[in-house]
Amino acid sequence: MENFTGCPGSRMMNFQKADEDHSGLTQEKIKSQLTQWPIQMHLISPTAPYYQGADVLLTADCVAYALGDFHREYLKDKSIAIACPKLDPDQDIYLEKIKAWIDDAKINTLTVLIMQVPCCTGLLNLAQQAAEGATRKVPIKYVVVGVQGEILQEEWVAA
Amino acid sequence: MDEYLNKGIKEIIAAFPAVEDVLNDYDIGCGPCTVGICLLKDIVAIHRLPEDQEKQLMARIAKAIHPDQDIQIPKIKKSAEAKSLEFKYSPPMKKLVDEHVLIKRWIALIPEVVKNIDVESEKGRRLILDGIDMIRSYADKYHHAKEEEILFKYFDENADILKVMHEDHAHGRKLVKEMLAAIDKRDRKTVAENLMAYRELLTEHIRKEDEILYPWMDNQLSTHQVGELFAKFDEVDRQIDVSPKKYNDFIDQLEKKFEKQEN
Repeated sequence: MENFTGCPGSRMMNFQKADEDHSGLTQEKIKSQLTQWPIQMHLISPTAPYYQGADVLLTADCVAYALGDFHREYLKDKSIAIACPKLDPDQDIYLEKIKAWIDDAKINTLTVLIMQVPCCTGLLNLAQQAAEGATRKVPIKYVVVGVQGEILQEEWVAA
Repeated sequence: MDEYLNKGIKEIIAAFPAVEDVLNDYDIGCGPCTVGICLLKDIVAIHRLPEDQEKQLMARIAKAIHPDQDIQIPKIKKSAEAKSLEFKYSPPMKKLVDEHVLIKRWIALIPEVVKNIDVESEKGRRLILDGIDMIRSYADKYHHAKEEEILFKYFDENADILKVMHEDHAHGRKLVKEMLAAIDKRDRKTVAENLMAYRELLTEHIRKEDEILYPWMDNQLSTHQVGELFAKFDEVDRQIDVSPKKYNDFIDQLEKKFEKQEN
């Protein structure tokens, strides 16, 4: 693995620990905080009622799997769309949809959650590019999640 | 120690003067503060020290209060000492910090204005009145109103730190009122003294906001509240009859004028 020279986003890693302590895991069922459908960026309508004036999460596909407490910590009280900046086709449509969130749905804030892998930065760039093209301005925050679920960075982007 | 967390810092310093020196070691300058009603627990929270520094500070304060007790003072790890204090504001807070820039440029010019003060001629009075207009319209109506009518409402307005901010604003308004009366009376000394007092007040007030109050507030605000604040500030900017450009031009001209005089 140390000699890996390919795409860091595709590098194979195994985090499993042989004698891992699971005592910190809660026994209670965690309630889903998802309040809408659909969620995939190509399927959503940016002017759907649940986006009107909302705090919106634009989340890279892998984030919800890596981030252990995604529902309680990030999804709660927010509307969401998911996308993969590396694999999804026709991302110019995403650009227009983000602009429509800002100008037409008049969202309150946009939080972009991405993985630490380099290609994921594309989703933040897309959001910033859309925001620059929008008439309204909204606060944009980005959160970088490590592959083992740790929060590496959480910052506001200058509006 | 818990009983002291809810006591005013001035009261603690009066009873245990060594606490002031301990606070100074962490760049917490409560000693010269003229109000000093902030609670110890709020002061510690607001300064957002790295965890091990905060533990060390609390232990040193406890030792200053109870010198006879065996209190262990924890050491600070090297990494924490090197931690950057740079803070990234949320967009609405950044807006307030950016508005401070023009106010700071004005208060930086006040010593030159005072040096050349002229309350006898129409032109001399006009310059002071324009400066006072900048204080009343830009600093007070445009900027402080965002704080008092919007931002502070998101917090407990009875919190001591907000009382201090309100008192600073009220003190600034009092100084302006006295300046206007002094201009009418052609009282050069009072105008000059109050301008310098305003400069001192606002310099410290802005420092407190930029370095302590706003970062603390930013840490308390939810993402939703940040969005709301941003929209409300934007609404004020669109509705208010104050032109930031007018005051930017005024400061530009004044800076050029004094620059020319220096050369």
